[in-house]
Amino acid sequence: MFEWLLSDQMVGNMLYVNSLLLMGGIYALMCLGLNVQWGFTGLFNAGIAGFAAVGAYTYAILTTFASGMHVGGFELPIWVGMLAAMIASGIIALGIGAICIRLRADYLAIATIGIAEIIKLILKNETPVTNGPRGVAKIPRSWEHLADARVAEKFPWRLFGEPTAYEGFFKAWYPLLFMLTVVGFVLLVFLALEIARKSPWGRVMTAIRENEAAARAAGKNVTRLRIESFVVGAVIIGLAGAFYAQQLRFIEPTNAFDPTKMTFLVWVMLIMGGSGNNRGAVLGGLMLWVIWSGTELVIRFGANVIGDVFTDLSPSVLVTKASFLRLFLIGLILQFVLQRFPKGILPEVRPAALGRRTNKVRD
Amino acid sequence: MKKTLLMSAAALAFASVASAQVKVGNPMAVTGPIPDLVAPMVDAVNLAVAHVNEQGGVLGQEYVMVAADSGCDPAAAVDAVTKLVNVDQVSALIGPVCSGATIAQATSVAIPAGVVTLSVSASSPAISTLEEGTDLVFRTAASDAYQGVALAELAMASGISDIAVSYAQDDYNAALAAVFAEAFAGMGGTVTANEAHEPDKASYRSEVATMGSTSDNLALFAYYGSGGITLMRNALETGAFSTFIGADGMLAQETIDQIGAENMGNATFTTSASDPTRNAFVAWSALADAAGVPASDPFVANSYDAAFMMALAIEAAGSADRDAIAAGLRAISGPDGETILPGEFAKAKEILAAGGSINYDGGSGPQDFDANGDVAGFFSSNVVVDGSWSATLLK
Amino acid sequence: MWDAFGFEFINFYLIPGLVLGCIYALGAIGITLTFGILRFANFAHGEVMMSSAYLTYTFMALAASFGLSLVPLVAAIPAAVLTIAIALLIDHFFYRPFRKSETIIIVMASFGMMLMVRALVPVIWGPNQITFVRGITPMKPYLDGMLLVQDKQWLIVIGTVVVMTLFSLLMNFTRIGKAMRAVSDSPDLARVTGINVETVIRATWIIGGFCAAVAGVFLAMNTQQLSVTMGFRMLLPMFAAAILGGIGRPVGAIVGGMVIGLAEELIAYPWQAAVMQLVWWFSEVINASGMTDWAKAVHKQMRGTPLLSPGYKAGVAFGIMVIMLIVRPAGLFKGRVF
Repeated sequence: MFEWLLSDQMVGNMLYVNSLLLMGGIYALMCLGLNVQWGFTGLFNAGIAGFAAVGAYTYAILTTFASGMHVGGFELPIWVGMLAAMIASGIIALGIGAICIRLRADYLAIATIGIAEIIKLILKNETPVTNGPRGVAKIPRSWEHLADARVAEKFPWRLFGEPTAYEGFFKAWYPLLFMLTVVGFVLLVFLALEIARKSPWGRVMTAIRENEAAARAAGKNVTRLRIESFVVGAVIIGLAGAFYAQQLRFIEPTNAFDPTKMTFLVWVMLIMGGSGNNRGAVLGGLMLWVIWSGTELVIRFGANVIGDVFTDLSPSVLVTKASFLRLFLIGLILQFVLQRFPKGILPEVRPAALGRRTNKVRD
Repeated sequence: MKKTLLMSAAALAFASVASAQVKVGNPMAVTGPIPDLVAPMVDAVNLAVAHVNEQGGVLGQEYVMVAADSGCDPAAAVDAVTKLVNVDQVSALIGPVCSGATIAQATSVAIPAGVVTLSVSASSPAISTLEEGTDLVFRTAASDAYQGVALAELAMASGISDIAVSYAQDDYNAALAAVFAEAFAGMGGTVTANEAHEPDKASYRSEVATMGSTSDNLALFAYYGSGGITLMRNALETGAFSTFIGADGMLAQETIDQIGAENMGNATFTTSASDPTRNAFVAWSALADAAGVPASDPFVANSYDAAFMMALAIEAAGSADRDAIAAGLRAISGPDGETILPGEFAKAKEILAAGGSINYDGGSGPQDFDANGDVAGFFSSNVVVDGSWSATLLK
Repeated sequence: MWDAFGFEFINFYLIPGLVLGCIYALGAIGITLTFGILRFANFAHGEVMMSSAYLTYTFMALAASFGLSLVPLVAAIPAAVLTIAIALLIDHFFYRPFRKSETIIIVMASFGMMLMVRALVPVIWGPNQITFVRGITPMKPYLDGMLLVQDKQWLIVIGTVVVMTLFSLLMNFTRIGKAMRAVSDSPDLARVTGINVETVIRATWIIGGFCAAVAGVFLAMNTQQLSVTMGFRMLLPMFAAAILGGIGRPVGAIVGGMVIGLAEELIAYPWQAAVMQLVWWFSEVINASGMTDWAKAVHKQMRGTPLLSPGYKAGVAFGIMVIMLIVRPAGLFKGRVF
């Protein structure tokens, strides 16, 4: 009697929901990273696409099999690739932070946009290393890669016997496992950031955001703390970049890291969700991705209805216009949310001051 | 917000009501960097659908193309194809336009789900080796590996011994330029300069002036709408180059209209074979003209062929099951069997019903798939005659 | 023989660079004004430029349907008026509610505006290429055929000079201009002295919108092509120009625009070959024939090699901007630092 649950249509719908949670989770991670930079400390990082690209490329080049088209064939385990992605993104952030961090809000934004574009140009033009605009393909995806015989031969997987014993399981269940992994990381980062936000470190960051001069007068090394926050945020964005590369299984510098669809989208997510609030960041990431992806179904439905009513309209004209209208709709939703919820849907809640002073506040 | 969610739910519900339809997904790059190039391709796909439905539909059911937007962007393509494969439950995909988007959606979604991708214009050589033991990725456009060589041969044959190469820094043009430059040098020609350019810049005067000091001949690899026309115009204005060759990214009526036929006397562009004397091309171009679709624009014929072949494949397989389609595509693409020209769906149906075999011969070429799901490269060289492109088949 | 120091440098690098610089400068004026007076980075500024070009095209097409043929500059007049009206309407509905909010909110609003305009234009005009004038514009010879300049290049440079002159007269000798400068320097002080800030904001949109409209039309004339992304592709270089000159300093924006425009075109110049030509001349003077031969050979080999691959063209503006932000964040003309 529950057969309808296992019909292709229902399984398909569930797989789509799964992919929404997955991509939404990846964007939620980026929002959490940005929230450390902007929400906590007030650093206007508009170079998210650049950091995500560094993370994604580091992961892709370290973990792929040799392709002869780009530097690679290192075949490192997935966790090593992800760790390297975080480190690489952090190092780039450290470099950028050291030279740009003293710039104020909008200036830092424009500097980081510029640097992100330069990073993308390097990835695009240094063809021998990155395969240039043709991109890196066949990037291993968590869990799915265990169904690959070449991976199964390696330590420790070869201890589990012949891959035929388990490859079917991973082929069938990797979407769920991968989604749970991403969501697990979102939770992990979320909990860590919640602790950080309530800790002395987090409160110093808020102090810097609200009144830098006062923080400086209180003896805080503001520059160093700002760089710390910038690097922590970039590490999280780099991790999200690695997950992004896994989900797409192919990355190229131009369109996959288009600032409109990455940097600005993440900003909109954070502002919509509520900057300064980690819950808001996660909510914004998930919710806007659902809207971003779901509007296509809505618009398609609308175009079908219009196409059925006005049969003399050319379908391609309708499709073209509908796709552009979708972008228009997203812009309009953004305007609506900004005007209706200027502080985000979940506004920032300041941690209540602790009753006692602690000595752990860092300089 | 609530309203949006309700509407999404309604869309999901609508999608799940499956009537007697054969649904194929069509994630084209409707938005993104090359919308002008894609618009006629979408028209061609819809023309094929109309022809199939006029002649009784697939398996007696309506042939439905579920359109989506892959935006030439790997992320958008993965998202769009996830929806097509899972929510819309399409039988197969008439592929995304750009190579990058095609690779991403195939490896991330379509191949794991066992859905056939038939790409209409992805030409990256990387696609040949994408499938990892499956037979799920086909394409109606020839790999760059063929066209670059054909163009180099054409250049040598027309007496060009030295040439400067300028290519747009995107997946399609950069790949083609690399193949061309290697082939041309291999045939004894001199590549005097080989530089990338950023697409869509406002001016290319300085680039063409620098390269123009080394040669009078320019091999131009760019999309006409993303800087190609601008670069060619700048090169003509500054007198940097007098002879132009290039590939199908530049081959559109738009190029002639914008630059002016009188200025294009020394411009030759290659494209997938559209030999005007072949029956298949004559048939295609008559159908296209009747529908107002530009028959010779880049990848328009390939788009029609892909949509038409998919219908034939499903008809030949006798079922719209995902597993059956790859075999169906191989069955109808020949080279054996009775020849089917563009638009002849009813005839094909009759032959198949009688147990015969068919071989589709499309406007963009014979469309016989090799082991990798690629088609062989037959190319034509195109020059401007009386204000429009005139094609000659390259042997 | 190709000559690194001939008129080619002027014809094919300097003049196109100046023309591009003029367009950047006109666009950057609007950006620096909104930055200075409304205190936010307007991401929709490129879309204002793009809309004015499309409106100009529409007026040309409208006139053509009545049998009139308009040159782009004439059609640009009603288009500029309409563009300004659109800019004011956008401000009223989408930016005005945020006057008292944080900067980031209004930046997000301008970003949303950019998405909306960029989505709407292909819905109205379709995704296909359009152009004001078809064909190619020949380069006319001057000075015995050594100097080659296109008519449209003259037009753009002279037009920019006229707009700039009007602009500086307006800023320096009119009440509203002085009020704008006062608000840019200190909004609170300006309000205290009785300046109506809303009027100043309206003036900002009118002036910035006019400059953007002219820039958009000039851009479409120079490229001879209209596309949906034409404005956005100019946006970041224009930000760079505004920062280079110093935020809130229109003169700075003009100089910044020129620098960016020239730099973008000049990086494609074969500077290596130019240096080798100097070596070659020098070696001829000192009669070192071996060195001459070597320099000639390298010169011949390098003359087709640009200083930096044109693939990095877009990076030039960002590079200059980032260096400027690090070395001298106030910009060349001591703009405001936030």
